[in-house]
Amino acid sequence: MASFIPNLESAPDTCPEFKRRKRRITDEKPASSHSHQRNQRIKRWRTQREQHIYSSKLIQALRRSRRTSASSSAAKEVHETADRVLAVLAKGTTRWSKAILTARKMARHKKAKVAANTRLRKPAVSREKRKTPVVQRKLKVLGRLVPGCRKLSFPNLLEETSDYIAALEMQVRAMTAITEFLAGSGPQPPADRLASNVNS
Amino acid sequence: MSSRRSRSRQSSGSRITDDQIIDLVSKLQQLIPELRGRRSDKVSASKVLQETCNYIRNLHRQVDGLSDRLSQLLASTDTDSDQAAVIRSLLME
Repeated sequence: MASFIPNLESAPDTCPEFKRRKRRITDEKPASSHSHQRNQRIKRWRTQREQHIYSSKLIQALRRSRRTSASSSAAKEVHETADRVLAVLAKGTTRWSKAILTARKMARHKKAKVAANTRLRKPAVSREKRKTPVVQRKLKVLGRLVPGCRKLSFPNLLEETSDYIAALEMQVRAMTAITEFLAGSGPQPPADRLASNVNS
Repeated sequence: MSSRRSRSRQSSGSRITDDQIIDLVSKLQQLIPELRGRRSDKVSASKVLQETCNYIRNLHRQVDGLSDRLSQLLASTDTDSDQAAVIRSLLME
């Protein structure tokens, strides 16, 4: 992380080192700003604020979907809603989030057609022969686990994976908190317990 | 001729060097709780990828279980719509 991104905030220590650092800054400015943006995005998933925003939107979405739902599996619907809200929160900058939102649209209208397309399309032959077959295989598996990332190059796939993992971790934290809250206030008579919580 | 090409640094479509791969893999390693403490030269790329896949599958499973519980809890609290509004307001503090 900090290995090739120069620390722009630190004071220069010695003269030659400062010059070296300065040169590196101008050389790698475009690359470092891009990866800086990426790191900022990933850090966002770990903030309390983001988790609260997600929890609130998730609850709204769940209430909406319950009113209009007629689906067979309630759990699956909750999972899909949770994924969709997560993808929306990503604000469309990552591939996995776009893939989740697209998949839902396609699933609703053209389920059979999508299945046929994915079967006909052969996986792209990787040109990166320097990696061993074992690593290649595992990369493929990883590409299948992260939505929409089957044909990504190695660095892009790892970038998507980093963001996806951070988002998933937040999803787990948020849903755990909601579940604990609902479970905690479930058995007791709702009006009494919640009234006392609000008043205290 | 073909053996020379397979050993050359610039293979046909990719400009990714070995160092870049090592760097990216070590970054990924820092995200996986299981592997975070270990020295990056002691963990192979294949293991990092394997653990990453396992971790993602684990997270998916957790979300599955949570969705299941949530759907049950929501079914039982559906009748009280005030409760959901309170939850929302409490979470936004």
